[in-house]
Amino acid sequence: MNGFEQALATGVEGGTIILFPALGELIGERAGIVNLGTEGCMLVGALAAYAVGASTGSAWLGVGAGFLAAALVGLLHAVLVVKQRADQLASGLVVWFLAIGLTSVLGTSFVSKTVTPLPILKVPLLGSLPWIGNILFNHDALVYVSFGLVALVWWALYRTRIGLVLRATGERPEVVAVAGRRPELVQIAAVTLGAALAGIGGAQLSVGYVDSWFDDMTNGYGFIAVAVVLFAAWRPWLVVVGAYAFGVALAAASVLQAHGVAVNQYLLDTLPYLVTLVALVVFARGGRSRAPEGLARALANSS
Amino acid sequence: MTIAPEQPLLSLPPEPVSQGSWKAVAEKWRDPSGLKRLAVALGAYVGCLIVFGLFVLTQSKNPFSVYNSIIHSAFLSSGSLAEVLVRSVPIVLAALAVSVPARAGLVNVGGEGQLIMGAVAATGFGVALGHHVPGPVGWLIMAIGGIVAGAVWAGIAGVLRVAVGANEAVTTLLLNFIANDIMLYLLYQPWKDPSGGGQPESRPLTSNEVLPKIFGSSINLGVIIALVVAFGVYVLVKRTGWGFALRVVGGNQVAASRAGIPVTKLMISSMMVGGGLAGLGGMLYLAGTQVQLLPGGTLSYGYIAFLAAFLGRHDPFKVVLSALLFSAIAIGVPGLQLNFGLDGNVVDVLLALIVMAPLGTSVYRKQAF
Repeated sequence: MNGFEQALATGVEGGTIILFPALGELIGERAGIVNLGTEGCMLVGALAAYAVGASTGSAWLGVGAGFLAAALVGLLHAVLVVKQRADQLASGLVVWFLAIGLTSVLGTSFVSKTVTPLPILKVPLLGSLPWIGNILFNHDALVYVSFGLVALVWWALYRTRIGLVLRATGERPEVVAVAGRRPELVQIAAVTLGAALAGIGGAQLSVGYVDSWFDDMTNGYGFIAVAVVLFAAWRPWLVVVGAYAFGVALAAASVLQAHGVAVNQYLLDTLPYLVTLVALVVFARGGRSRAPEGLARALANSS
Repeated sequence: MTIAPEQPLLSLPPEPVSQGSWKAVAEKWRDPSGLKRLAVALGAYVGCLIVFGLFVLTQSKNPFSVYNSIIHSAFLSSGSLAEVLVRSVPIVLAALAVSVPARAGLVNVGGEGQLIMGAVAATGFGVALGHHVPGPVGWLIMAIGGIVAGAVWAGIAGVLRVAVGANEAVTTLLLNFIANDIMLYLLYQPWKDPSGGGQPESRPLTSNEVLPKIFGSSINLGVIIALVVAFGVYVLVKRTGWGFALRVVGGNQVAASRAGIPVTKLMISSMMVGGGLAGLGGMLYLAGTQVQLLPGGTLSYGYIAFLAAFLGRHDPFKVVLSALLFSAIAIGVPGLQLNFGLDGNVVDVLLALIVMAPLGTSVYRKQAF
């Protein structure tokens, strides 16, 4: 593999860290709720996956634990916002803060532990294709799960009754209520599911990508996931593009260093955030008019 | 925040409620009179403290001794007060940095990055000036540098919000991480102290540049400056036309612009005033307490400040009180690490829970939070 191919392959693997939370956040925001606690859900997912993975020896059990633990965190945010009418942005940040504290206290004993990471599975035939094979089909299985998930989310959102109710809830919850559905339940379910997906993203980080646990290891990736949903203007396929752009920016730093490019590591570390910020600026104007109406209303009254 | 009336996500006409049903009870509970509201609020706080106690218990530590340790280091030991005041400087100013834009309906979560940029700029000027200028001149230059750096950093988010509608909560968060990386870059390469034993730290400020202690205590001049500035912010937002205009913008942008208020200008300037406050906080903390720029030196004070601003409902006076309370809790960290072997971030759990109390009872209040 040459450097460019390597960067793209690592980009896909790293992008998966963002793709899960971003798809999850997309689901929540389509129901009208922003979860800035996505960062915290990832952190909780990463620790739960690592802890269970290290204790049981099965990274897959870890992924399941990450899914469930993050779902609980998301449920807390959902109940605070939907039932208790708490401010969305503030609640998300408080949930994030809670997650930082909890994970650093509970995670102390796992810093020194090792985990058997998710195995790399080369897809037969597809994995042997030139170029594409290494970039797309030579990864841990969560990467392939994410491919399927993108299609599933798109199909569910646009082609099923549930998706219609979800999108309607994000636009006009009153209408959904009049139609005999319960918008509050839809929102709570959407946010909880979204958070659980963020937990899988955290698991991909801790038992798939870096294979270790350390304090605050998500390093703002959850916020990047939220930003990706904004500039993707709530469209699943653009979320994929955004997530992989992030992955490549993340990978570029290490690949450039490996090739002896003499740029300070910390300057390279700004790359993912800068790329995200620039994308937000470039795509923000076009995207805003596509915001789910309920979401826009909730955010306008926020702070 | 106290200005905009709460707009529920879902506004249905109230259903008729028959007396005696559980719904009637719930309805009553949801619309409690003053005394009941107080009880709900207090109950929420007590509940959160109990939850934290239970969490401590899961770590096989005695919650009562942990609370005792926090209270002792915060209020009872000698020098508590001075320590709280010194630590509160960055927290108070970064919290006001949240509150000023919040009055215009903007969410500034960038206190951390603005503190960092303020400290970075102050370090740059401080190290360059050294003994060349007398102390007060150096302080002034460092302070201006810190204010401008913080204001610019927050201003970026403000301009992006106004120009392209980029959500400022998200952009300020991203800018925090960029600011931190910029600081690390400086500390690991160009600004690294050659005599620092290889540690990533800047050259220390010269003795004339360090803010002096006053009254023979460990309280430095920065505390006085921060209190004066906090009073200034109170006057600014409560007693000036600018502050009133902010509230109007925060209440209803469309109405504000119809009334001839320059909405975009106000939004950007409120972010910049906020950023400037946090930048000053970074400078005062550097020149008064840290003396040299260190990685992680801000100890996530910017985020703690956001929680404090929220707890104080963006009212300058209450925000300062909340910030003082939070810095009192934050100084308990070394004690918890030393005496209980608890990870220092355990206070993050406590602070988050304290803020969760009002969040969790938002529905019981008439006004939005």
